[in-house]
Amino acid sequence: MKKFWIVISLILVFFLLYFLQVDIFSSLTIAGIKPNLFVIYILFIGLFANQILGISFGVICGLILDLLYGKTIGVTAVMLCIIGFLGSYFDKNFSKENKLTIIFMVVGATIIFELGSYFMNSIILQFEREYWYFTKIILIEILYNVLLSILFYPFIQKIGYIIDRTFKRNNILTRYF
Amino acid sequence: MNRNKQTEILGGVVTVIILILLIFLSNVETNKLSYFESVASSIVNPIQRIFTDLKNKIQGNSTYFSNMDSIIEENKQLKEKNEELETQLRELESIKADNKTLQDYMGLTKKYSSYQTIPAYVINRDVSNFNSTIVLNVGENDGIKENMTVIAEKGLVGHVVSVSTNTCKVQVIIDSASTVSCTLSTTQESIICKGTLENNQVLRASYIPTGAEVIQGDSVYTSGVGGIYPKGIIIGTIKEIITTSNITDRYAIVEPAVDFSKVDTVLIINQ
Repeated sequence: MKKFWIVISLILVFFLLYFLQVDIFSSLTIAGIKPNLFVIYILFIGLFANQILGISFGVICGLILDLLYGKTIGVTAVMLCIIGFLGSYFDKNFSKENKLTIIFMVVGATIIFELGSYFMNSIILQFEREYWYFTKIILIEILYNVLLSILFYPFIQKIGYIIDRTFKRNNILTRYF
Repeated sequence: MNRNKQTEILGGVVTVIILILLIFLSNVETNKLSYFESVASSIVNPIQRIFTDLKNKIQGNSTYFSNMDSIIEENKQLKEKNEELETQLRELESIKADNKTLQDYMGLTKKYSSYQTIPAYVINRDVSNFNSTIVLNVGENDGIKENMTVIAEKGLVGHVVSVSTNTCKVQVIIDSASTVSCTLSTTQESIICKGTLENNQVLRASYIPTGAEVIQGDSVYTSGVGGIYPKGIIIGTIKEIITTSNITDRYAIVEPAVDFSKVDTVLIINQ
């Protein structure tokens, strides 16, 4: 039952993040660049919940975003699915206690998501790739995502461990030994 | 007898003097007396003012106390009236906004009267840093189909990329995946305008013919080539010409006529 309520809460968090991304962060930009809250969201679901939840949330949220804005259907879904999987991979191999590890996870997830989306879209829509400007945008986006993750990580961590205990049902430390 | 006589003569003299004075004063011009008037005023007025002020104060205070209840009542009525007027003002502002939207539609329809159009407004904008799409409030139910051209009052906006029952997605011309075939207004040379990641407020005009003369400030229109956009819709103006060592690589920066961050009323060309 607790799992059910957590899933419902995560769905509500998605909509909250959606409105934040659309209404708040569209204006709160760094050099005109917005953060990508959905990458952070799916990464942390994969990290604190489990692989199945990370992947399924990635696919569903990605599809919703594709249907709402995407020029192609499926690209965001595939990329967020990979981020969900990546979150659970990070969980098995790295500690969630160290902030530096979290920063690297966010950097990695943002690069993989944006690179993958850009290349897949460029292949499907057949447009010319602009590597230099793409790099500039992605660097600012990474910086923004990292700053937001550092700022909200203490809160995410608290909620995350509740999810972690519910979905994994084992002691956190014993999983590393 | 002598005393009585003296008194009579004195009385007569005083009367004559008074008469002479009366005759003189009644015939003399009044402005010649202003000096005396001002002297008299300067003596009397300060004292008179003190008395007048005192009188007014007393009269005013008594009125204040006597009218207190009526003032409270009047204040209450004015507050109610104010609230009523504020409500009316809000209603008026709402009507004004509606009117503006309708006028925008009217203006657009008149401007592009040669096309059969469907009015729409922007309900959402893309959240990504790499795409520029907008969502409109019209869909299949309104007769919208893929690849229909979207225009705003000042020029071209983009084309419909996907349609749902009540909404449609439009790829804006500044999107990095967008390419529009254009014509320069003065030389009628054909160029290609593309969206760029460099700046999501401008377009890059490339494939400029080697012999073509590109002038700064020249208007850029759709050429009609490509099958999506009709001919003759304004895209923007040439802002800057970037020359390279190889003339075939030169390009121009086109400033779109439409401000895509502010556009909210559009028309979809139904053809």
